Amino acid sequence: MSKLVELRDVTKIYEIGDEIRVKALQGASLTVDKREMVSIMGPSGCGKSTLLNMIGGLDNPTSGQVIIDGVDITDMNEGELASFRGERIGFIFQSYNLVPTLTALENVELPMIFAEKYASKEISERAADMLGLVGLGERLHHRPNQLSGGQQQRVAIARALANEPSIIIADEPTGNIDRETGLKIIRFFQHLNKTLGQTFILVTHDPDIARVSQRILHMLDGKITSRPAKTSIKPSKQILLEEQRQLMLAELKWLENSLTRLEESKANLTPALYDQSKTEYARRLDSLDQAILALNNSELMKK
Amino acid sequence: MNLLKMGKFSFNMARKSIGRRKLRAALTIMGIVIGVATIVSLISVGEGMQTEIEFNLEKMLGAGVTISAGESVSIPEYISEYVLQVPGVKDCVPTISIMSNDFRSRIGSGEHGSFVSIVMGIELNCAIDLYQLTLSEGRIPDLGETNFVIISASTADKSDLHLNDTITLSATSGGIGEPFTVAGIVGSSSSSGFGIEIGYYISLQDAQRLYDKEGYVSSLLVILDDPDQADSVKDILTELFPEATITTPEAILSRIGDVLGTVNGALMALGSVSLVVGAIGVMNTITMSIYERTREIGMMKAVGGKRRHILFIFLSESAVIGVIGGIIGIMFGISMAYGLSYLVTMLGSTVTLPIIVSPQTVLTGFTIGLVLAVAAGFYPSWKASNMRPVEALRYE
Repeated sequence: MSKLVELRDVTKIYEIGDEIRVKALQGASLTVDKREMVSIMGPSGCGKSTLLNMIGGLDNPTSGQVIIDGVDITDMNEGELASFRGERIGFIFQSYNLVPTLTALENVELPMIFAEKYASKEISERAADMLGLVGLGERLHHRPNQLSGGQQQRVAIARALANEPSIIIADEPTGNIDRETGLKIIRFFQHLNKTLGQTFILVTHDPDIARVSQRILHMLDGKITSRPAKTSIKPSKQILLEEQRQLMLAELKWLENSLTRLEESKANLTPALYDQSKTEYARRLDSLDQAILALNNSELMKK
Repeated sequence: MNLLKMGKFSFNMARKSIGRRKLRAALTIMGIVIGVATIVSLISVGEGMQTEIEFNLEKMLGAGVTISAGESVSIPEYISEYVLQVPGVKDCVPTISIMSNDFRSRIGSGEHGSFVSIVMGIELNCAIDLYQLTLSEGRIPDLGETNFVIISASTADKSDLHLNDTITLSATSGGIGEPFTVAGIVGSSSSSGFGIEIGYYISLQDAQRLYDKEGYVSSLLVILDDPDQADSVKDILTELFPEATITTPEAILSRIGDVLGTVNGALMALGSVSLVVGAIGVMNTITMSIYERTREIGMMKAVGGKRRHILFIFLSESAVIGVIGGIIGIMFGISMAYGLSYLVTMLGSTVTLPIIVSPQTVLTGFTIGLVLAVAAGFYPSWKASNMRPVEALRYE
């Protein structure tokens, strides 16, 4: 089988402002063959969406190499990427992203108008064909708000198929739909995959949905792991405790500063106000100390 | 880019996008409408005024060249005999014109408010020819008859005068006058339209007596064989009578044209303020539309929409706003101009405001609306087209 998607040691670092750098991908490598249907799973923030953006040519990687359908898109500029996406990639989004003012037919025509590959007449015919394929042949002229969530997502599928893409990329395609309809959508993906040989790469949280695909990839911390990530509640609870302790330490520091300031301005205050403030600070310091102690003890007990 | 398909599609999108936010679109269009309407009405009034003034002046001046002594009655009447000797001069009509604005107070009917008109002392038969008057009622007094006046139809109307009524005319405001009997009423004179009208025609002898200046006139109207000779005749006359003020209609017209041009310019400057306001409105609408549709833009880019496509889609929206605003603005502007003209007449002024709506004005209004909207929409549209798809898709 020939390789359709090849990512080599791809990293992506987002710089937010001057100081914060988010490492969304930290050396992800992966290959997907033609006619494959692959699911990507992993906890929130592990880089799944960023990975999809790289494969779909929505963004350039910081380092590494991205080769899609034999084309190296690593360093393409936005204009080239737009053409590339239009021709090779079909996108399906969690929130459908249909144009609310356009009919189902017009929504499906959209990528074909941009691609400038088909004649005007052909565009309308193909759009109607695609909608027929997804079972919406009777609803060509309905607007998105006249369709159910499942139907809207099927319009989105028709739109993704419009330019005969090499790959269809779906980011949580069933996230906004009820489970039953979601499974129907995924089985439809499977059907397209088997009958048309359409390659699918999808991200999902739902193991049942993922199981429909031929291969499941797991991601953790910006890397692809062979096995499911052992990301249960434990580490996240630890993070939670750590955060709590940080907050308490910050408050401790604030209280100490306040006390210092109180001493400095003692001369300007009435004795009663001074005494009252000092007692209040002392009381809060005391209870904070105890809370920090309790937190440390609970962690010690765990270890 | 498949322009036809893309254009059709963009227009469709624009139409629907405007339909989605009707009130906002209506307010934006209103901004353009006000701008375009102001300009269109100003041009229509301005052009009407200019044309009318020029037309009336030509009629009023009648003659090719005017020899005048300013405000005073100090030109000896016999000078006309010399003027007639100048080659190219066909005739020379001595006149006395008295500017007056408060006859009615003296004739006791002050209910129509005051207006400015001219009392012209002239040989009456001559005036009929010179000013192309038509007698609608009464008769033209013979040479030698005294204390008869011919009034214009509009004066008759505004001062509520009829044939054989008696009015008092005097040389100076508040001076002791003489009674005059209305002998005739003339229609279609220079009185119709903008400008100071000749409201009363009396014989030259009567006028001279009122001024107590027998044998003197205030101006000589020189009628030429050929209007094109005005300048050469003027030169000769200037040489002959260096102390008199000698004017050709062209000189007066061009001076008035200058004044009108300045007034028009000032009005246009005011008008363009409303254009700027309209432009800001469009900018705001397109910007809002883009914020609302950020995810849509992200999606369009994801499915292969290029920068030019997005630019085209949003500029189409501006253009549709501009076209609608332009068309309504033109209609509104024309109505405004006529409304203004009607209002001026309603207020009982002798000054009527003629309106001329030329095809160029309509075209100018339309172009302004369209160009303004597209120019104002350009920056936000350009920003939309430069959005990064990933960020646009993530936008909440």
